[in-house]
Amino acid sequence: MKHLKSINHKARQIDEAAGSGEIEEVVAMQTVVGCTATVDPGWEIDAFGGMASLCQPMEADLYGCADACWWPAQVPDTMSSHPDWGQGADAAMRDWRKLDGIFEDND
Amino acid sequence: MPFKILQTSTGAAVRAVAGALLAASAVAAAAAPVTQEYLLTVTRPGQLHVIDMASHAILRSCDIPGKFGSGSIAPSPDGRVAYVLSNLWEDVYGIDITDCKVVFSARQSKDNIRVKTFQSVTVSADGKELYTVQNPVRLLPDRFEVMEPRLAVYSTSGGLDAPLLKSFPVSRRITKIAATQTGEVILGGADVTAIDPRTGATRVVTALANWDRGPQWLTPDAFAMHSQGEQAAEYIMPYVTARFTDETQNMETAEWWWGMSRVDLKTGKAEQREIVPFEFIVFNFITDPTNPDILFGSFNQLSKHDLRNQKTLAVEPMPHTYYNLNITSDGRKIFVGGAANDISIHDAETLKKIGSIELPGDMSTSDLRVARRLKD
Repeated sequence: MKHLKSINHKARQIDEAAGSGEIEEVVAMQTVVGCTATVDPGWEIDAFGGMASLCQPMEADLYGCADACWWPAQVPDTMSSHPDWGQGADAAMRDWRKLDGIFEDND
Repeated sequence: MPFKILQTSTGAAVRAVAGALLAASAVAAAAAPVTQEYLLTVTRPGQLHVIDMASHAILRSCDIPGKFGSGSIAPSPDGRVAYVLSNLWEDVYGIDITDCKVVFSARQSKDNIRVKTFQSVTVSADGKELYTVQNPVRLLPDRFEVMEPRLAVYSTSGGLDAPLLKSFPVSRRITKIAATQTGEVILGGADVTAIDPRTGATRVVTALANWDRGPQWLTPDAFAMHSQGEQAAEYIMPYVTARFTDETQNMETAEWWWGMSRVDLKTGKAEQREIVPFEFIVFNFITDPTNPDILFGSFNQLSKHDLRNQKTLAVEPMPHTYYNLNITSDGRKIFVGGAANDISIHDAETLKKIGSIELPGDMSTSDLRVARRLKD
């Protein structure tokens, strides 16, 4: 990173995460089901062909995707099929570690 | 002596006037009750929060029956009751914001008919009727039978388990709705339409998917998920369109525009216009209640727009996505919320952050509405 200089808010956040030893947490989040995490990047782009205008971070938008059945393939449909998926994890940015995948055999 | 007399007389007159003014101000204070603005929102797993927009304090958090979803809110015109869409987008609960008592409920699903309402909840201008758009599905043993959507009419005096008074067929894909002071209900869908809930008669307010502006304009992409606009008595359906240079409709050379259909809820009349160049995504717009030419927008940034000159005046980057926003009636403070679990408060002049409100759970799809009523 020493040859790169962050010039916007998001880039500075990445710098800070790397600097404070939070890389493992970022890697861990790749395993969490979410609006963009599991197949990010590439499954969705914004209206300008980039990613800056997607909802961010994924956790802020997580229940907005699930509760509205907005992305039923990417996140559980909490409107009808999996209403208790977010139980006990009321704030996704704080509680994302409590969220699990959906398994058809209820394991 | 004459001076003294005059002085005495003047002093008496001053005292008399002062006394009269004091009396008048006391009468005025008694006659002009102080109204207070309350910000209303819903968080997971199911609480309605009543927030003082002056002090930013959460005054109370009311439990909402049923599971979360969607948190769409329609305040009663007197600001006392918040009608909240809950229980997986199926039921509406009326909650007294002064004591959290549940004073109304409409359970829309019945027997094997499952009804979902996609944000569409509003209250008539006189406060007597509640309207929802119902999207029913019959759950049969071997299949789901999708039924026709309808506008449902309930009496707000119906209490708990209020019966359905009547219903009228409406178009599909309707999201937010709003009642006008002329007695209609504005329906936001493929086009912005209005329905008369007394007769079921409908009219097109502004065409969107069906607009006819010739080959130089792209059919607009319109979307509205959240209700707001009570501070300016308006209903805004934003859209994105493109103006082509010629009939070949070359996307590369087109001008891209934000536009809006804005309905005046006092008259039911609408304007449809392009507002500013399409430079970034905005999820919701509101108008400055003190200046109809100024618009604010929220998403990954808070933005301020000048409609008269079709320019973006200011952009404030936000730390995360906020779907929604609302404003004080004096146009001075903006509350930005939705999505995660904090409301960000900004100066409307500069857009700089001046405060925040931490909430216990995510707002997700919930509305951010304002109720105005006498101070507690």
